[in-house]
Amino acid sequence: MREEHHLSSLVIHARPETLDQVVRRLEQEGCEVHARIELGKLVVTLEADGQRTLNDALTRIQLLPGVIAATLVFHHVEENALEEEMSA
Amino acid sequence: MTLSRREVLKAQAIVAASAAAGITAPAAAQSIITEREKTELTWSKAPCRFCGTGCSVMVATKDDRVVATHGDAEAEVNKGLNCVKGYFLSKIMYGADRLTKPLLRKRDGVFHKEGEFEEVSWDEAFDVMAEKFKTTLREKGPKAVGMFGSGQWTVWEGYAASKLYKAGFRSNNIDPNARHCMASAVAGFIRTFGIDEPMGCYDDFEHADAFVLWGSNMAEMHPILWTRLTDRRLSAPHVKVAVLSTYRNRCYDLADLELTFTPQTDLAILNAIQRHIIKSGKVNTDFVDKHTTFKRGNPNIGYGLRPEHPLEQSAANAAKAGGAEDMTFEEYEVFLEDYTFEYASELSGVPVSRLEELAEIYADPKIKVMSLWTMGVNQHTRGVWVNNMIYNAHLLTGKISEPGNSPFSLTGQPSACGTAREVGTFAHRLPADLVVANPEHRKTAEGIWKLPEGTVPDWVGAHAVLQNRKLKDGEINAYWIQVNNNLQAAPNMLQETYPGYRNPENFIVVSDAYPTVTAQAADLVLPTAMWVEKEGAYGNAERRTQFWHELVPAPGEAKSDLWQLMEFSKRFTTDEVWPEEILAAAPDYRGKTLFDVLFANGQVDAFPISETKDHPNHESGHFGFYAQKGLFEEYARFGRGHGHDLAPFDAYHEARGLRWPVVDGKETKWRYREGHDPYVTPGAGIEFYGKPDGKAFIFALPYEPPAESPNDEFPFWLVTGRVLEHWHSGSMTDRVPELHKAYPNAVVYMHPEDAAELGLHRGSAIKISSRRGDMLSRVETRGRNRVPRGLIFIPWFDANQLVNKLTLDATDPISKQTDFKKCACKVEAA
Amino acid sequence: MRNLSFKLLIVVFLAATGLAAAQTANISTLRQTDPTVDDLPPPMRPVEDTNVREPRNYPEQPPLIPHDIEGYELSANFNKCLSCHARAATGRSQAPMVSVTHYIDRHGQVLASVSPRRYFCNQCHIPQRPDEPLVTNTFIDIDTLLSMPKE
Repeated sequence: MREEHHLSSLVIHARPETLDQVVRRLEQEGCEVHARIELGKLVVTLEADGQRTLNDALTRIQLLPGVIAATLVFHHVEENALEEEMSA
Repeated sequence: MTLSRREVLKAQAIVAASAAAGITAPAAAQSIITEREKTELTWSKAPCRFCGTGCSVMVATKDDRVVATHGDAEAEVNKGLNCVKGYFLSKIMYGADRLTKPLLRKRDGVFHKEGEFEEVSWDEAFDVMAEKFKTTLREKGPKAVGMFGSGQWTVWEGYAASKLYKAGFRSNNIDPNARHCMASAVAGFIRTFGIDEPMGCYDDFEHADAFVLWGSNMAEMHPILWTRLTDRRLSAPHVKVAVLSTYRNRCYDLADLELTFTPQTDLAILNAIQRHIIKSGKVNTDFVDKHTTFKRGNPNIGYGLRPEHPLEQSAANAAKAGGAEDMTFEEYEVFLEDYTFEYASELSGVPVSRLEELAEIYADPKIKVMSLWTMGVNQHTRGVWVNNMIYNAHLLTGKISEPGNSPFSLTGQPSACGTAREVGTFAHRLPADLVVANPEHRKTAEGIWKLPEGTVPDWVGAHAVLQNRKLKDGEINAYWIQVNNNLQAAPNMLQETYPGYRNPENFIVVSDAYPTVTAQAADLVLPTAMWVEKEGAYGNAERRTQFWHELVPAPGEAKSDLWQLMEFSKRFTTDEVWPEEILAAAPDYRGKTLFDVLFANGQVDAFPISETKDHPNHESGHFGFYAQKGLFEEYARFGRGHGHDLAPFDAYHEARGLRWPVVDGKETKWRYREGHDPYVTPGAGIEFYGKPDGKAFIFALPYEPPAESPNDEFPFWLVTGRVLEHWHSGSMTDRVPELHKAYPNAVVYMHPEDAAELGLHRGSAIKISSRRGDMLSRVETRGRNRVPRGLIFIPWFDANQLVNKLTLDATDPISKQTDFKKCACKVEAA
Repeated sequence: MRNLSFKLLIVVFLAATGLAAAQTANISTLRQTDPTVDDLPPPMRPVEDTNVREPRNYPEQPPLIPHDIEGYELSANFNKCLSCHARAATGRSQAPMVSVTHYIDRHGQVLASVSPRRYFCNQCHIPQRPDEPLVTNTFIDIDTLLSMPKE
């Protein structure tokens, strides 16, 4: 099926003492957490099947308890599924 | 091996976010990968993307990405070394803001000069662009289209651009940014020797007994040549290094003789040197008699400002700046009479004893001396004169064209020589030192290009600064900029550059890999493949031509400049752009596209794709023939047999570069010297064959004041320049995190006492103003540059501190090169 | 696959959280203001001064200098860097020794001491200031690349 696919990465600042809880909630949101600094920074990726879905997820993430800021750094959209092969 | 596209994108996303968060991306879990197949990298050679030194680097690729770079141990230029920029080449293509689609200013779905940028297809981009060019050509003719190119173009890109403009559009309004960089050196060579580019080569570094740096800060700007100079100086204790500059820089760390002089007074210092050579009886009379002619250059030549400027009105020889008349040696001696060490010292502020010591380096027949210079000499309203006068010192003493005796003009861009100069992408030039003003030369070009007589126009086109003036004045209306950032680089930005770009009558196209400030000021932005995303050739400062293969694909829809030029030519027919009299005389050319007559001419398309030997090549794949090889071989016909011989195309993919002229497979290290240069007539010993009688010119040229000097209102000299970590306006280097963090923002180097007098200290916010504009910055009173009182130095790489708002668009009247090294400004707390 | 296309939205720590629109007035990323309007440059910040080494992007990369070098003499007479990083000094200083490549001259000969052509350390080794890059860089090092799943 040809569909829109969004891939994004975010930097999330959260209060250090809430970090465990924030990570749990992010994973429930479908995020993958790739790096964590105990002072309160996370690097996560988030994939979605439409701009609307992504926007909604971003809004929910920003409103999570403990989250100070969620900054979108990288965003890629394409219409095909992202499984095309890269030949080497 | 295949790699999921999602994984690649995800890795990029993580790297980008990690970098933004200031943390390192998660490392691989296992400590070592033992499968050889997995860890094997493909290593290929390529010249460095930055300066004119032309270091060779080895580039490692894996899965269509560059993963490492290091200095090429087999390359004679750098023998395994790189400077810090070269070591970080791996990252220059991976700035997250690479342009991947054409961007056009639009409003309500159509092009609008005041619209916002929208992504468009290549078809739409070229449709709009072609329409603008055709309208301009139809309504105002070839003088109303223009192009600003670069010494960063590959050889074939510059050649294709030159052909498209000079033969296709029949407009000589094409100039490279090398005009800002090398034009005075070119005019210096042509005037003294009748042929461009250095006679010596980098091997001179290992043979010289003394090095004299004329304003060149090699320690930062040509670091690898500085390593060769340092090696020589520290390995041979008798070797001396003399450094001339208008402020203390890192070269002073190695200097045996320091000469900090007042801007513009290098003219007087050089005349004092010539005078000393004569007065001390050190003229090499035999050499001078046999190989030189004396000329009195026209004085009072103006400053290349707009003709209505009072300074131009009062310049008697503004219209014949390059003129000269014959004189005798005796008359030359009389001319120099005023230039005593005392007079030179008074003007320059350099103590007499140091001037004597410097002069003796040139005068002493036992000392082999290498003179080195770049922007300090070339970006000078008397830049051609200074070039001529340095040659004078070498010619009077016969210290030239032999190992270690070498007046050596360094270059700033990676192919200032190979492309801008040798291909002749200047407004007055054709390949191999031919010029558009000479009917025989035009005929030669038309012959090689298989074009009707009269195709190449006879008028000299607009040079860099004049292009900006004509854009502002609405005389050039369709304008294409490739591989440079001229809004940031050109002088007097607010008064003379920006107004032309935003002039509603004009359509401005910018091809770049990144969204520079120039792209921001454009109407159409074309995403461009860079460096090893295309097959290329550069020529360095020692006449060495170097090739590389396309190694990785360009992102998105980015295409090389070559692809853009050739593809765009398909949109024009000869009937649309050539006058009836040419077509009537050559009816076979009617109805053909410019692509047909320029590129599908039986020469450029002569080599099949199979000759790329399976190396990726996105242009050739698209056009159906080996475009680079066809262009190169056609271009090489200009120089072969005429002192500019290039080797066969394939030889360059094997060698670590070859220095032209390459005759019978052998490169030339020292030109004009029998035994080294095959063009010297047997028995002549030395022959400056660029001049009809084989004799070089020694010019009598006076000291004349600069266009603008400090006064009570603007009490400081402003000198602009570069830093080690950034090159090419920072458009690539400022996207490499390590280079950015080493030198994040431009600062204003100022003498601590000047700062104190103004109530400022290190780090103070300041406003710097000139008669043309102002800029905000911060004071630096320490660090790598120590300026004298009354002078400030500001590097220009920083897109947030556009120092060319302050500079004056005065040029050398002969070379048309801007003087970025001296104007007057004031400093106050911001 | 030869066509990678992605869009980078916001570069560093901008508070914006919305998705970028398809059209934009400002495309210049290193400069956020109109060319005719200047912002005051950020304060000058001292170089990072630690003993923590940054990992290299690839083995051939010259290591960054993690500490302050202001005021170090580096002249024909004296090289302050070598007073800690020379082989003989590392026992006392516990600093990393100058790499063995630095003992090799132009002709591939291994010398008894650092080759003069490597004398000026600051041509390749640079300290860092805490100013974050204005644009992120998506270079992927070889370990990350190899660790990505292959099909």
